[in-house]
Amino acid sequence: MNAGSSTQDRLREHDFDGIREYDNRLPNWWLWTFYIMIIFSFFYWVHYHVLHTGPDQWQEYAAEVKAEEEKLASLAAKNPVTDETLLEESRNHEVVARGKKVFMTNCVSCHKADGGGLVGPNLTDRFWIHGGKPAQILHTITVGVPAKGMVAWGPVLGASRIRDVTAYLLTIRNTNVPGGKGPEGSEEK
Amino acid sequence: MNVPEGSGVDQEEDLKEVKRLRSGPRRPDLETLYCIDEDGSHHVIHPADVRGRFQRIKKAVWTILVVIYVALPWIRIGGHPAILIDIPRRHFFLFGHTFNAMDFWLAFFFLAGVGLTLILLSALYGRVWCGYACPQTVFLEGFYRRIERWIEGTAPQREKLARSPWTVRKILKKGGKHFAYLVLSLVLAHVFLSYFIPVRELGNVVTSSPAAHPAAFVFVMALTAVMMFNFAWFREQLCLIICPYGRLQSILSDPDTIVVGYDARRGEPRGRYNREGRGDCIDCYRCVAVCPTGIDIRFGLQLECIGCANCIDACDEVMDKLGQARGLIRNDSLNGFEGRRSRFWRPRVVAYFSLLALVFGGFVYATSKVEPIEARFVRLPGPAYVIEGGKIRNQFRLRLLVKEGGPRHVSIEPLSPEGAEFIFSQRDFDLPLLEYREVMTFVSLPRSSFRQGTAVEVWVRFGEERRTVRAPFVGPDD
Repeated sequence: MNAGSSTQDRLREHDFDGIREYDNRLPNWWLWTFYIMIIFSFFYWVHYHVLHTGPDQWQEYAAEVKAEEEKLASLAAKNPVTDETLLEESRNHEVVARGKKVFMTNCVSCHKADGGGLVGPNLTDRFWIHGGKPAQILHTITVGVPAKGMVAWGPVLGASRIRDVTAYLLTIRNTNVPGGKGPEGSEEK
Repeated sequence: MNVPEGSGVDQEEDLKEVKRLRSGPRRPDLETLYCIDEDGSHHVIHPADVRGRFQRIKKAVWTILVVIYVALPWIRIGGHPAILIDIPRRHFFLFGHTFNAMDFWLAFFFLAGVGLTLILLSALYGRVWCGYACPQTVFLEGFYRRIERWIEGTAPQREKLARSPWTVRKILKKGGKHFAYLVLSLVLAHVFLSYFIPVRELGNVVTSSPAAHPAAFVFVMALTAVMMFNFAWFREQLCLIICPYGRLQSILSDPDTIVVGYDARRGEPRGRYNREGRGDCIDCYRCVAVCPTGIDIRFGLQLECIGCANCIDACDEVMDKLGQARGLIRNDSLNGFEGRRSRFWRPRVVAYFSLLALVFGGFVYATSKVEPIEARFVRLPGPAYVIEGGKIRNQFRLRLLVKEGGPRHVSIEPLSPEGAEFIFSQRDFDLPLLEYREVMTFVSLPRSSFRQGTAVEVWVRFGEERRTVRAPFVGPDD
């Protein structure tokens, strides 16, 4: 393969149904992509597989999960769901306004625009079927009462909007709107 | 010169060989790619100027294509740009029709249709796409090569400049050329961006800080870099080494396909114009000098031919000067060059045409099935029905969407079953375009009037239009 001028010399030996190929050199830019990849792979191999200075995919995954869990935990620690914090939020006008919007789009069809109850129970009296403490109300909204037709809103609305709507509900309870549904459940003092 | 080490070849010998081959003008052959030199470096091709009827046709076609490309995002049809692909919102506006992500399956018919059109075209007329309509050709020959010709001069002048040592004049010429390329690439990249960001917003996006629209900024910069690399240096290598379409040519074409070719029966034996008994070809190499991919068309149909017809115009000019008939190089089929008649309808043309007709029919049918309005019941998760106080209750979300026209006023009217009590979370409201709205729907029916097979039906009015939405009413078996 030293005399590049002769056709016969540059033809390679293999033969595919009469198709043969010349031994021409690849373009340099093409070769360079190979050279760069070879150099890159060496450093990659040393970094991840010899020195273990970089995380492998499982470590990366575990780190991401841990970071997310820590974020959630710190959020919960800063703002825990308790009767007291929910009551606190019900005094925040912004939260209540957001909650009212959620209520008006999702809840009114069963609980009526004023909360007096329709298919669903009256939310403005002292009586609660599944517990009237703030945290209990939030729980009922989140998991729903499927047998009675109350949707589990947790996956639909998400945690923060459920807190908002709970805050709104705490502002309308015990207002006993006129024309409301009769008492259901037990009295909450 | 780059000769890899350890290849088992005597490097000294190899280098000498390479030098020997590079001395003297290189001529195209069938064994090597003309744009790659023996040592693997890019052999820059400087196609000579050419005039003629195909140049005029191409100029007209390219002008029309570029005008369409630039103008489409500015044209508004039905209140929306003629083409706008809004990826973040997944709204696609195409020629007055609106599609969302749910309609993406239509892309199958569209892409299959485009692919089959190209296949049919290649079987009939070879690579007309490459020569006349491919963006690579339109931008390279229509813009970049013109700029190069304007700044650096004719092909011999360009070649001389490339060989000359670096002087102030060369730096100015090369720098000016690449600056012009850069400006042009930036403009073309922004035009492309206007297919994804409405032109009305594009002005704000371009004048604001890159940090405000990082995705668009990176996109335009990357596209500009790719265009610079491609049009300033890479050029014909894209067609010859990367593009898969040219490689398909050999399976798509047959001896009846119209291609750019050389009439060897007329031209051979080639020879100097004053030689006795020569054919029509005077071996002037004009056809090679004007070729943008650096082939000699007289070797016959080759992978590298992009069907640009430069060699036809060049040869016709020479034939005119010699007083010989035009068409020594012409658009004809391989059968035609052999003196036989070429057929238009061959089995492969019939097959490609039938497939194309089928896909086109599918496309028309499928698009006619895309409703501009969507309205349907989605049952709420949980039990299918609830029995309470002697009544059976079914619960739905009524999903509503308007895809065309504009915002509509929506009102909902219960129809069936009779005697049922309907509760809607909303019954009268304005629905913006392309926004899903879910209306909670509760249907209660006294147990006594429930029959198996009862259906829930409501009328939904969207402005002037009305849809009936249906779902089965579910209850206990007894």
